[in-house]
Amino acid sequence: MKSYPRRVGVAALALALAQGLTACTGSAADTPATEPGTAGSRAGSGPGGSSAPHAVNVMVTADQGCVPDTTHLAAGPLTVTVTNRDAAAVSEIEVLSGERIVGEKENLPPGFNGTFTVSLTAGTYTLYCPGAPHERSALTVTGTATGAADSSLTALWQRGTVQYGRYVDTQLDSLVETTTALARTLHGGDLDAARAAYLAARPAYEKIEPVAESFATGGTDLDAAIDARMDEVPAARWTGFHAIEKGLFADGRLTGLGRLGDGLVRDVRRLRELAAHLRYQPFELANGAQELLDEVARSKITGEEERYSHTDLLDVQANVEGAEQAFAALQPALVRIDPTLTGTITSRFAALHTVLDRYRDARDPSGFVRFGQVTAPDKRALSAAVTAVQEPLSRVASKATS
Amino acid sequence: MSTAPEPAARPRSRRRFLGGAAAGIAGLTAAGATGFGLADATDLGPTGTRPRGGVRAEVPLYGPHQPGIATPAQDRLAFAAFDLTTTDRAAVQIMLGLWAAAAQQLVRGRPVGGDPAPEAPPPDTGEALDLAPAGLTVTVGFGPSFFDERLGLAGRRPAALAELPPFAGDRLQPARSGGDLCVQACSDDPVVAFHVLRNFARSARGTAVLRWTQLGFGRTSTTSRTEDTPRNLMGFKDGTNNIRGVDAPAMDAHVWVGTETDQPWLAGGCYLVARRIRMLLESWDADSLADQERVFGRAKTSGAPLTGRGEFDPVRLDARKPDGTPVIDPHAHIRLAAPATNGGLRILRRGYSYTDGVDPDTGLLDAGLFFLAYQQDPRRQFVPLQQRLATRDNLNEYLRHTGSAVFAMPPGLSGPGDWFGRQLLR
Repeated sequence: MKSYPRRVGVAALALALAQGLTACTGSAADTPATEPGTAGSRAGSGPGGSSAPHAVNVMVTADQGCVPDTTHLAAGPLTVTVTNRDAAAVSEIEVLSGERIVGEKENLPPGFNGTFTVSLTAGTYTLYCPGAPHERSALTVTGTATGAADSSLTALWQRGTVQYGRYVDTQLDSLVETTTALARTLHGGDLDAARAAYLAARPAYEKIEPVAESFATGGTDLDAAIDARMDEVPAARWTGFHAIEKGLFADGRLTGLGRLGDGLVRDVRRLRELAAHLRYQPFELANGAQELLDEVARSKITGEEERYSHTDLLDVQANVEGAEQAFAALQPALVRIDPTLTGTITSRFAALHTVLDRYRDARDPSGFVRFGQVTAPDKRALSAAVTAVQEPLSRVASKATS
Repeated sequence: MSTAPEPAARPRSRRRFLGGAAAGIAGLTAAGATGFGLADATDLGPTGTRPRGGVRAEVPLYGPHQPGIATPAQDRLAFAAFDLTTTDRAAVQIMLGLWAAAAQQLVRGRPVGGDPAPEAPPPDTGEALDLAPAGLTVTVGFGPSFFDERLGLAGRRPAALAELPPFAGDRLQPARSGGDLCVQACSDDPVVAFHVLRNFARSARGTAVLRWTQLGFGRTSTTSRTEDTPRNLMGFKDGTNNIRGVDAPAMDAHVWVGTETDQPWLAGGCYLVARRIRMLLESWDADSLADQERVFGRAKTSGAPLTGRGEFDPVRLDARKPDGTPVIDPHAHIRLAAPATNGGLRILRRGYSYTDGVDPDTGLLDAGLFFLAYQQDPRRQFVPLQQRLATRDNLNEYLRHTGSAVFAMPPGLSGPGDWFGRQLLR
């Protein structure tokens, strides 16, 4: 397990705070945070007895922090109902197994409450309220789970990273194939064919660019060799996509481009050698998705990336797809931990697609209008849609510990 | 060094994407490659450890009225208008709840949220971590467009929250006007004030976006009896007869909305009119002292009305020179704005000087007054006043209104667990 140093010095000891046991009748549904009074403040109560409960109510206060009404629970599905009464520094609550988050609820400022469910096997867990004066309470879970076991969470993360690895491999194959085709046209005499081949080769790279960026430490900077813009490297060393783009779209001639095409093929083949069959960590996928959206916000929205062809929206589409693929690989596990957050990210990706789709243009070889036609208000809307995904996505890496 | 400068290094990923995997291939170790930001994140320290006791005492967030209106005006302003990007009322509720929680932390000099985890972005952006709140107030309001069909709140829009009519000489820029919500952050420390806007905009992402912002660098009004009347960028004391926040009868008579309102959620609140008023300072600076004083109706140095010797001497609007002409010009600012010539109407002004640098078209300073006026009903206070001023005020020659907005400011938060607009949105 990755080291995950949460705030140290706060002993994760149990408080003897059990305030009477309640048995489970609680709903299993996750609900959005609501104001108190519009949702039940008690997760459920039922016939008492020897069995430990499947529900816990947590009151969050500025004075006492997070106080659960019971600390002994039964294995299986657990419903956690949280009410933040007046703790202004607290807006989320988590259930941890060791330092791994197995369930949580965010966006619970004072005056709001919410419910989440988590499936637990026997063992000791921690109820964690970051920012509270008393941040941690131990939960003891006993018995045998009848539902899905928590251990499957690890398997879900694992499966997601394998799935993403296959996606990267596919894109690398496509990249080698399309750049080889591009190089061939650069040796020929058909400028339009070469321009079309350039556009065809771009998306595979933009979908997985953070993979290439991660190979900057080994002496050769593959990302710079493949994708640097003119002002980022000395002119004599400028190679790759954008040097070719300048020849094709600004100079409008193929002279000298064949050599650049061959070099590009060499570099993407090298990238495939290095990156093929890599194993990834879940948090790396989350960071990679974020990195791709940063690409959009940093250099695409300004029109700097494709400054000669003005096909930036084609790159944006590819960056977004790459980010979404990385997120999709995490989704099955993440939805177990925080269905609200997962739903928020999913719907914001959808909203981002809606914005992008406005600029599709079937008549243009890139499939989108050229960036010069995107107005300032349009760019603001696109930028807002990107940051709307980035903000919740930025919280995923910390949950995707292995 | 005669060699040509190397181009700037290619920007690097600041996150650990595939750091381990790539370094493994290259035969390096990834240990210690914890990435940018971790040192910062772990150095934030526990909450509540910032130095306290700035020159200005902490201003409580909770009370019958929002702070930042009747409370003494601080030196610095950071103001923002937001537009909603959602139709989901629950999302707006949560955003306003997060804003209220953040405001309660910040006015006490504490960071937003709890302690950061190394693997997650810190909940507070951090630039104000070592700073005292310096009298920070956070004030939130709702524009007319907040009550359109998107959230289904049309029935809760107060009649007095009407779009302002056009005024003579308006040069309003849409990008500096309007907005679904507003946030006014005032502090004696500009970093503390800006920090509020930045963190509010962050927690709004996906729910609302910044429409425009305005920074102000010097208060132009006094709202207490202990402060001197400040000067505006024209060098004049303006607002000598402003309503003082401690003058409860005047606040009740002219500013606070009472039980007479058509919308009970607004009782205890008020309305804010914001106007970005650019001053043509190059022209003003070329005007003679006598004419500048004629335009205002006050002496520049002392601030006294032209009919008196001291700043607070009564303004005698009927005084005449030996030749029979009025001492205070018929179109002097002081005359047209005086309650005595406006049927007794008054407003609480709480504006700030601003500059946004150089006008790229003309090379002239883009600077002036960010006018903020609190009142009970703009339809019978700001609107008739501005209609008068816009057509007759001597000052118009030197002013351009470039931005405009109106907001309903709900009453104060009752305590922890209450949030901005709760009575409106519940």
